[in-house]
Amino acid sequence: MKPMLSTELNTPEVAVEKAKIEVKNLNFYYGQSKALKDINLSLPERSVTAFIGPSGCGKSTLLRVLNRIYELYPKQSAEGQVLLDGKNILDRSQDLNLLRTKIGMVFQKPTPFPMSIYENIAFGVRLYEKISKSEMDGRVEQALKRAALWTEVKDKLNASGLSLSGGQQQRLCIARTVAVKPEVILLDEPASALDPLSTAKIEELIDELQADYTIVIVTHNMQQAARVSKQTAFMYLGELVEFDRTEKIFTSPREKRTQDYITGRFG
Amino acid sequence: MSAVQEAMPAIRGSRDATVRRFALTDSIFHGLTRAAAVLVLVLLGGVAISLIVGAWPALSTFGVSFVTTESWNPVTEKFGALAPIYGTIITSAIAIIIAVPLGIGIAIFLTELCPRPLRRPIGMAVELLAGIPSIIYGIWGLFVLAPFLQTTIQPVIISIFHGVPGLNSLFAGPPYGIGLLTSAMILAIMILPFITSITKDVFDTVPSVLKESAYGIGCTTWEVTRRVVIPYTRIGIMGGVMLALGRALGETMAVTFVIGNAHRISTSLFAPATTISATIANEFTEAVGDLYTSSLVALGLILFIITFLILAIARYMLMRIDARTGA
Repeated sequence: MKPMLSTELNTPEVAVEKAKIEVKNLNFYYGQSKALKDINLSLPERSVTAFIGPSGCGKSTLLRVLNRIYELYPKQSAEGQVLLDGKNILDRSQDLNLLRTKIGMVFQKPTPFPMSIYENIAFGVRLYEKISKSEMDGRVEQALKRAALWTEVKDKLNASGLSLSGGQQQRLCIARTVAVKPEVILLDEPASALDPLSTAKIEELIDELQADYTIVIVTHNMQQAARVSKQTAFMYLGELVEFDRTEKIFTSPREKRTQDYITGRFG
Repeated sequence: MSAVQEAMPAIRGSRDATVRRFALTDSIFHGLTRAAAVLVLVLLGGVAISLIVGAWPALSTFGVSFVTTESWNPVTEKFGALAPIYGTIITSAIAIIIAVPLGIGIAIFLTELCPRPLRRPIGMAVELLAGIPSIIYGIWGLFVLAPFLQTTIQPVIISIFHGVPGLNSLFAGPPYGIGLLTSAMILAIMILPFITSITKDVFDTVPSVLKESAYGIGCTTWEVTRRVVIPYTRIGIMGGVMLALGRALGETMAVTFVIGNAHRISTSLFAPATTISATIANEFTEAVGDLYTSSLVALGLILFIITFLILAIARYMLMRIDARTGA
């Protein structure tokens, strides 16, 4: 039986045993224009949450708040609270580099660094850990295995990361993110630039990773959201319209706008 | 038969004429633009040929010894280009050593760290440096920088390195003020804008998402720059450095003022020396004998070859980064 706490609009009807991230009254601005309006939601630990919605609805913006990558650009600002394990990461005292080692991010386009496959992974690890060569070899292998890339690259670890195919590059980026041992992984349309086969591999990978990581994925592809996520948030024009179990969102949404979007009436 | 059909042959006839006229103007236009392009090659070839012809008497008289001997004696008509070649290469090399870290530093500051309102003023100030005529660098170097170095900096450096083996010969002799190092410093200031603006441009070609992903795994700005931005743009930076080097090698006016114009090779960076372009500028009016003139032209030919090669390498490197970002 589901617990009856679903009277509040944005509370999913899943029993959130432990919220990894809680977003409270979040507003976000690009200069003067308001891109996120009073967002409230909590993301359960070790589970996949999808953000869906039409272009410009704020789903990527919300994702970019979670590791404060938006701060690289002036004139972008957030107000409200984002609690990671109960601690507000929007607080000015939060160390950004430390935050980003805890919350990894994979982007729409694969972004291998201009260095070898091995170094692409070792680089991030080396930033915060002093480990021996053999330990590093182990970490690289483990990360590549987790990203289902090891068998394809194990004989050419010294080749440039740029020499891989698009799908392989994206898995390399996931491996790189995993290697730093984050707690949360943010995926910003990770498969939108990939062919269906590579997409399937990435989706399998997401499914495996949720045993250890809290995963948030932004996607345009509703089937993808339905396939990979446990919870889905539907956003529209900077508002969080509905947040619920994925199954519920796609079969019996509460909101008319959600219904219209998932049946393809707009967006 | 309708009126339209009757009119068809006439219309077709006038259309054919129009097409022919277009074809004619098109081919004239084509020819003119091609001629303009070919003209550049002809000019370049002409310069090269006249340099070779002009240099021939000197090169055939002295042979290889023209580039391997140091003596430059107009009285006995014995000419060797080693001293100016040495001066040219050393001043340019030191200028590059000074200007590259500075230029890259400025570019990093401007693209990664500088608060937005300051970015344009500083960037423009650097580019204005490139607009200052070289004669002004020359008189500033001679009347301000050289005396300052002579009275303040050089005596201190000479006394510091006095007993240090190796360095004592590098910084030896009386402090003249003018000389190799002073020229190199002037050159460094002159090429700084080139290095800065090209480096800044290639830094801007780094996709922001690549930088974001480096920040995304917890890199600091220094680590992102050192491990991602610079490796990504290495070829472009090298191209910019080569372009600046090409400019430093050929710079005449400012160097002529502060180099000292002495035909000798000295290990000390404080010693007066000469460069290829300074020698030509200084001595052309006094070159009376044919062999003397020809030797100066031969110097010009050597400079032409060196800068041509350097610029070709620079262009090639910049082309490679364009190809990569354009893909």
